[in-house]
Amino acid sequence: MNDPALDPAFVDDATVVVDDVSVWFGQKVALSELSCSFGPGVTGLLGPNGAGKTTLMRVMCGLLRARRGGARVLGVDPRQSRDVQAHIALVPEEDAVPEALTPRQLAEYQATLGGVADRDAVERALAAVSLTDVADRRLGGFSKGMRQRAKVAAALVTDPRVLVLDEPLNGADPVQRVALIELFQRLGAAGRTVIVSSHVLHEVERLAERVVVIVHGRLAAAGDHRAIRDAMADRPRRVLLRSSDDRRLATGLLGLEQVVAVELAGGGLTVSTGNAGDLALALPHVSRDLGVRLREVRALDASLDSVFAEVTR
Amino acid sequence: MPSRWPPVGERLRDVAALLETEHLTKTYAGGSVRALDGLDLALEPGVTGLVGANGAGKSTFFRILLGLTHPDSGTARIGGVDVAGDPVGVRSRLGYMPEHDCLPTDQTAADVVATLGEIAGLPSRAARQRASDVLDLVGLDEARFRPIEGFSTGMRQRTKLAQALVADPALVLLDEPTAGLDPQGRHEMLDLVRRLGTFGISVIMATHLLDDVQTTCDHVVMIDAGRLVASGHTESLLHTTGVVRVDVGLHGAALVTALADRHPTLLTDGTVELAVDGDDDLDAIVAAVADAGLPLHGLTSQRSSLDDVFLADHQQRTAG
Amino acid sequence: MTAVDRAGRVYDRGYRPYDGELGGRAAARLALFRASVRRALGMRRSWRQKLFPWVLLAIATVPAVVNVGVAYLTRDQFEDAIEIITYREYVGVSTALLVFVGLTAPDVICPDRRHRMLPLLFSRPLTGADYVVAKVGAIAAIVFAFGFLPQVLLFVGQMLVSDAAIDYLTDNAEVLWQVPVAVALLALYYASLAVAIASFATRRIVAAAALLILLLVTSITAGILAGPEERHLPGAIDDGGSAWAAVNLLAAPLHVRDLVFEGEIVDGRLVGVAGGPAIALAVYLTVVGASLGTLLWRYRWVEA
Repeated sequence: MNDPALDPAFVDDATVVVDDVSVWFGQKVALSELSCSFGPGVTGLLGPNGAGKTTLMRVMCGLLRARRGGARVLGVDPRQSRDVQAHIALVPEEDAVPEALTPRQLAEYQATLGGVADRDAVERALAAVSLTDVADRRLGGFSKGMRQRAKVAAALVTDPRVLVLDEPLNGADPVQRVALIELFQRLGAAGRTVIVSSHVLHEVERLAERVVVIVHGRLAAAGDHRAIRDAMADRPRRVLLRSSDDRRLATGLLGLEQVVAVELAGGGLTVSTGNAGDLALALPHVSRDLGVRLREVRALDASLDSVFAEVTR
Repeated sequence: MPSRWPPVGERLRDVAALLETEHLTKTYAGGSVRALDGLDLALEPGVTGLVGANGAGKSTFFRILLGLTHPDSGTARIGGVDVAGDPVGVRSRLGYMPEHDCLPTDQTAADVVATLGEIAGLPSRAARQRASDVLDLVGLDEARFRPIEGFSTGMRQRTKLAQALVADPALVLLDEPTAGLDPQGRHEMLDLVRRLGTFGISVIMATHLLDDVQTTCDHVVMIDAGRLVASGHTESLLHTTGVVRVDVGLHGAALVTALADRHPTLLTDGTVELAVDGDDDLDAIVAAVADAGLPLHGLTSQRSSLDDVFLADHQQRTAG
Repeated sequence: MTAVDRAGRVYDRGYRPYDGELGGRAAARLALFRASVRRALGMRRSWRQKLFPWVLLAIATVPAVVNVGVAYLTRDQFEDAIEIITYREYVGVSTALLVFVGLTAPDVICPDRRHRMLPLLFSRPLTGADYVVAKVGAIAAIVFAFGFLPQVLLFVGQMLVSDAAIDYLTDNAEVLWQVPVAVALLALYYASLAVAIASFATRRIVAAAALLILLLVTSITAGILAGPEERHLPGAIDDGGSAWAAVNLLAAPLHVRDLVFEGEIVDGRLVGVAGGPAIALAVYLTVVGASLGTLLWRYRWVEA
C-alpha cells in the first residue's frame, strides 16, 4: 500500500522496528497488525486510554510476545537476545518502586543486572536527573515526581540507545516537568531513540519532533503533527482572526472562493476554509483593501491537541 | 460570579471572602520540613487553581481546610468561619476529591455516592435524589448501576467528583482531577469544573498542569516551598511581552529579509519573531507580507504563560 | 383570529441546589452505622453476600427450634417440659456466631482501609470516635440481634408449649432481662475485639485469621495453665476452678454472662460466683477497654 520509504510511520535510520504486530488477551484485541518504526530523536506515542500504547511498549522491550509479527531492536528480536535487552530500557508507568531503596541503590541494582562495570555510570545517571543531592534518601519518602526521576536514572544507567517511557511526567510538579522535558530533549539530540507516551499534548508538542498515534490497537496517524493536519485535507481548516473591524472583514472574506463559513463570536472571527494556503495568501490583501487592521491570525486546529482530537474521533 | 455560601449557624458573617489565611504555618519532622510557611491568602468565590512545587504544601493545605490537621500557627477562615473553631461544621460545607483511588470497587457508583451522601448528613431519600442528580451532572449514565470495579479511569474520576458534590457543598477541593485522563477525558473534566463555577460552586483545584489552570481557572495561587509565589486573576498574571510571532509557512527567510530593519529572528520551526510597538507596526508587518506575496498563516502576540511566571520565580528563589 | 398566547420554555437541568435538611455528626454517625449494617448483612449486594449471614442466623436458631420442637412433641409425656438447652447456656459462643463475627468485622473495616476510603469519610462531619462508635455498634447490633432473636423464639416457643403460658411467663420473668443484658455484653465484647483486630489489617482474611487464632490460642493456653479439670473461674457454676481461666479470651464474656444469670447482690457486694466475679469483670472490662482504646488511637484522624 504505502511505500515504506515515504510513509511517515517509518523512519530511515530506524533503531526499533515494529512489524505487523498483533496482540490479544482473550477476547480483547490490544494491538492489531501494527507496523511502524522509531529512530534517533524524540517520538511521542499517543492514543486514548486503552489504545494499546503500554502493550506496544512492552512488545518493543521484549517483555511481551506478540501473537503475530514482532519487534526488532537494532535489528534483533529483543525476546531472543539478552545483549539487545541492554540497549533498550523501559520506564513503566506504575508507581511501584521498592520503597526501602534509595535512588542510588536502585540505579546500582539496575547496573548490576545490566552488567555495567563502570561505577561512574550510576553517578552520571543520577546527575542527569538531578537527584545527586538526595540520592541516599529512601524512595518511600519521595513525591511521585521524584520517584519517576529515580526510575529514569535507573534506566539510564545502562546507557541504552533506546529509552521507552510510559507517562514519565505523571505526578511531576511544574518545575520537575520542565527539567524532565529538557532531559529528554538532550537525550534525543544526542542521538538516542526516545519514545515517550503522555496525555499532556502541549508538552509532547514541545518535546517530540514526531508522533505516532494509536487508536484501538491500530495505527491512526504518524509524523509531524502539522503535516498530519494537512493530510486531513477533507476537513476544513479553521482560523481565528481578530481585527479592527471583524464584521467588515468577514463580509470581505465570504467573497473568497475557498472560504466555507465565517462565524463571529467570542471577540473574534472564525473562518472555515477548504484551502488554508489560499486563504493565507489572500488574507493580507483582503484586509489591506478593506482598510481593516489585523491584530491576530491563529490557526485553531494546528495544535497537537486539536489534531489529536480529530484523529481519535 | 455569585457567591454561594449559605449561612451555617449564626457565625457566618462575611461571605464575600471565600477563603482567607493569615500567616498559616505547618511544619513536620520537628521543624525540618516546612510544608506551609507563613501563607497569607485571600480568595474570592470562583474557580481557583492551586499550583505548587514540592507537593507537601498543597496536601497539607487541604488537610488544614478540612480540619484534619491543625496548623502550628496562623489561621484559616472559610466564609468567615475559623476552621480551627468548628472543623466538623466547616467540613459539612466542603466537598473533597482526593487524588488517589479511594472508591470501594464492589459497590455500584449510585450506591457509593448515595451512601456517602447520607454520611454527609443527607436524609436517605434526599441522598438518593442528589446522587442521581450529581451522577447526571458528571455524565455517568447507565454505568452508574455497574460495580466500580469495571470502571475506566475517567469514570472513576467522575464518580469521585460526584461524591464531592453530593451534599451540595459551597466549596469543593479537587486534588489533581485530570490525573490519568487521556486528552479527551481531560477536556471533559475541565469543562465540568468550569461549569461548577457557573453554578456558583467555588472550586480550589490543585494541579501540576499550569495549562489546565490557564484554561479553566479565574484565579490562581502559586505556592513554592510553603510560601506564596503569586496570587490573583489568571488574566492579570499574564502579560504581553511586546513580541509578535509571524508564521508565513515555509517562507520565513523571505520575510526576515523583507523586515530586516526591524531586526526579526527566524525560529527553528520557521516562524519569525520581532518586537512591535503599537498598531502601526502590525500594519507594517501585514503590508510586508502582502507585498512579498507570502501566505499569512499566523500572527500572534506572545504572552507569557503561567509556566513562565512560575518558573521565573522558582529560579529566582533557588538562585537567591 | 386572535393569536393564542402560547408560551414555551426550556428548563435548565443544569444544577439544582439542595435546600433541605443537612444533619451533623449524629446523622453522619447513624448513616455510617446503617451503611455498615447493610454491608455486613449483604444488602444491596449480590445474593452470594447475603447467603452467608442469613445461613448463620439459621444455624444459630437451630437449638431453639429443636428445644421447642422436642418440648412440643413430648408435652404430654413428661411432667416438666424438657429443656435441652437453658437460656443461660444459649447465650453462648456458638461457632456460627464466632465465624460470623470473625468474617463480618473485617468486612466492614478492612475495605475502608484497603480502598483508601478513609479520606472520603473524614472529609464529612465525622470524627474518629464517631467512626469507631458506628462500626463497633454495627457489628455489636448484628451480633446482638443474631443472639437475641433465637432466644425470643425459644422463650415464646416454650411459653406456647407449656401448660399455662402466663404461668410460664411469670415463672421465668427474670430471663426477660437477663438474656438481653447477657447477649448485649457478649455482643459488645466480640464486636470490640474483632473490630480492633481488623483495624490492623487491610485484607479481610488476615484479620479473620488473626482473631480466630488469638481466641484459640488464649483458650488453649488457659486450658493448659488451669489444668484439665479447672477450665472455669473459681466459684463459677460448678465448684473448683482456677484463676488461669481468666486468660481464656474466648470465654471471658461467658463468665460475665454467668454473673448476669447467677449473680446476686448480698450485703451490697456482688456474689454468686465467689472469687470469680472480680476477675471476670476485670478481664471483660480490660478487653473491651483496650479494644476501644486501640480503635480510637488507630482512627485518630485529627492530629493534635
